[in-house]
Amino acid sequence: MNVPGVRFRPLKALPALLNRSRATPRPCYVSKWLQSRGLQVSTAPPANAVPLRKHLKDEAKRKKADAKGLGGPRRDGAVTARLQKWELTVGIEVHAELNTACKLFSSATAASGDITAVPNSNVAAFDAALPGSQPQFQVATLLPALRAAIALGCDVQRKSGWDRKHYFHWDQPNGYQITQYYQPFAKDGTLKLTAEDGVPREDLLGAHSLSIGIKQIQMEQDTAKTSHHPPSNYHIDYNRSGHPLIEIITLPHIHSPQTAAAVVRKLQGLLKAIDACTTGMELGGLRADVNVSVRQRGTTGSLSYSGVAGLGQRTEIKNLSSFKAVEDAIVAERDRQISVLEAGGAIAGETRGWSLGSTETKRLRGKEGEVDYRYMPDADLPPLFIGNDLIDHLRSSLPELPDATMERVQREYGLTEKDARTIVALDNGERLEFMEATEELLQPRLPTNDSLELGRMAGNWVLHEIGGFLTANSLSWSDLKMYPIDLADIIAYLARGEITSRTAKQLLEYANDGSTSRGIGDLIHDLGLQRRPLSDDEYTELARTIMNENPGMVAAIKEKGQKGKIMWFVGQMMRRGEEETIEPEKAKEVVERILAD
Amino acid sequence: MALQCLPLRSALRCRPIPSLRRNLTRFNSTTPSPIDVAALLSKPTWSVTSLLTAASPSTSTITSAITSKQLHHLLRLSALPPPASEAEVSGLLASLSQHLYFVNEIQSVDTTAVEPLQGLRDETKQGEKESELGLEALKEALGKEKVVGRYHRRIRRVRDGVKGKGREGVEEEMGDVMDAAARNGSHMQKYATARRSAWEAWTGQKRSSGKEEMCGAGFSVMH
Repeated sequence: MNVPGVRFRPLKALPALLNRSRATPRPCYVSKWLQSRGLQVSTAPPANAVPLRKHLKDEAKRKKADAKGLGGPRRDGAVTARLQKWELTVGIEVHAELNTACKLFSSATAASGDITAVPNSNVAAFDAALPGSQPQFQVATLLPALRAAIALGCDVQRKSGWDRKHYFHWDQPNGYQITQYYQPFAKDGTLKLTAEDGVPREDLLGAHSLSIGIKQIQMEQDTAKTSHHPPSNYHIDYNRSGHPLIEIITLPHIHSPQTAAAVVRKLQGLLKAIDACTTGMELGGLRADVNVSVRQRGTTGSLSYSGVAGLGQRTEIKNLSSFKAVEDAIVAERDRQISVLEAGGAIAGETRGWSLGSTETKRLRGKEGEVDYRYMPDADLPPLFIGNDLIDHLRSSLPELPDATMERVQREYGLTEKDARTIVALDNGERLEFMEATEELLQPRLPTNDSLELGRMAGNWVLHEIGGFLTANSLSWSDLKMYPIDLADIIAYLARGEITSRTAKQLLEYANDGSTSRGIGDLIHDLGLQRRPLSDDEYTELARTIMNENPGMVAAIKEKGQKGKIMWFVGQMMRRGEEETIEPEKAKEVVERILAD
Repeated sequence: MALQCLPLRSALRCRPIPSLRRNLTRFNSTTPSPIDVAALLSKPTWSVTSLLTAASPSTSTITSAITSKQLHHLLRLSALPPPASEAEVSGLLASLSQHLYFVNEIQSVDTTAVEPLQGLRDETKQGEKESELGLEALKEALGKEKVVGRYHRRIRRVRDGVKGKGREGVEEEMGDVMDAAARNGSHMQKYATARRSAWEAWTGQKRSSGKEEMCGAGFSVMH
């Protein structure tokens, strides 16, 4: 049968692929980044702000499309052949600023991540190294440090010492940094990573999780902050001088750049969850140095590090300040080392630097310029003795670690792994708190549903509906005015079928208005938002209207007996009627009744 | 009681000091031979000067002389200016080798199983127990934390914005410290500034990039 007006069209997708726009950063993330550096966002955030999950999905689709494009398979082939021949080994040293009130050896305020503090206002005599000033260990700094050690499963040493690491620099007023070189306060921990944390399949080797050994954790002082004012001026802010840091040193158990980035990401999440380090990498609260070496698979190198033997010569890359930088720098350094070794050269043990947007690491300092730190025990400070009762107390009162929280959320609330991960990480756990409160309030309201279903409903609403509402109105979680009880009421009314889903979304906006203090029930009653089921006559009237408009279809059913087209009428009625007020079974019944006579 | 004697002691055990002999009774049967104490003390068996220079070149235990390259390295580590003339170099090398001789003599003492002294403190078990930081010591800090959330409990440190106070009896003056340092006429009161060119001139070396490179110490304002 020739159906006029229908033609086959060429694949419409092709032009779209050709002028596919470059990925634009998500508006609110960029503006937050700019804001944190005191720069103004010149334009208001665009009205078409994209919700996060949609943005992520679009990005993933675009990446896949890119990979399928030109040169994809060829490039992958060359790279994987190289990687099959050479094995990468990475060790990471993470420096994290502790969340404390005072600095490590003086009682000046430790303004961690506080960009509004006046420069050089929190400087005590020892931080400025005035002659005659003495360090005094501030015991409160032990709490976040011990929590970090316990969360990473380390053995906390009863006795640990303070050592001086000597080098001259304008941001180190004493001429030495006080650290714990000979006797760190915690040793031998582990960090577990799974595929969902970002570990590639080849690294897991069939196991469920990968265990990275933590060699030690030590406490040390931070240096002052330097800002460069070209051409030759440097401004130095001593607020940060003497701030407590912990240095977490991993063993060289990492064998891919993605795993390295995953380790740093996981550490940041862990430290944030236990309130040990609340400023992230973007704000400079967490810094990573990586040690990279390669060796041919099947051979063993001649060097070893802390019990891991058979490694090649390593180079150190300093001052990496984002997860992407960690991954990119390791890839660039690995490629450089492989190129040098394949050309017959040897790797020199040097220190290299990486800047954003580079393709290769840059040499900072060679071995002949290696600094001799002349470590020596600090004579001004007594050794640190940590009592077992304190360790036991902190271990028993440690907050739930992110892994355990995600697992619990999946088990008790029925969320998917991805949703669980998102909700645990968002808004410092506030969203999860809201969801749990909502679920508890839903139980008496919907007693017939089981708790997993309620959990799923609550999770969906908190993550997607409220999330969408916040993004659409460019709000943050702290601007939310509704309470869990409001959300529980909305979900309960909707689940019982007393309101439509469009009404539910409307109620969400009312609840966040701040102008009304009425409960949801009152709102529904006052505004008359209950779903009103249609009467028989209304069904009949609607059916007849549609039938009068489509005599051909009616004829087809009556004369030719094409019963399938009844559902077409039901569909039209549902589309025509007020949203969700038409019940399909009743509509079908009515249509059949009308057609029968 | 004195049966287990150190070899040195046994020589003097049965010999009371002659000058006090009048007041002492003998406690044992061996006849003491008179000691010429004055003779004993007239010839020193050891002098502190033995630590300063080698008695003869053959007894010198220093194996390697210090090279000029090592000297320059040490001067850079200490941020001291390089020597100006050859005479200064040889003078420095000579005094350094004397220092090293001294250190070597000191190192000849047997210190196996002896922990080096790091600081003067109470090293008894009781003393260590007292300096242990336990729950009592951290009670105040633990009190400044609160638990947030009823379902998903988290710990948060209370930030009450109180400026850190000095320990009792000692005032930590914030801000004043920096004022004192910047008082020599800087127009940028808030920041301590540093100029790269000034260091280069002072150390006579080109500064290469990298945080760990040795630069002049101090944060004072330079013009």
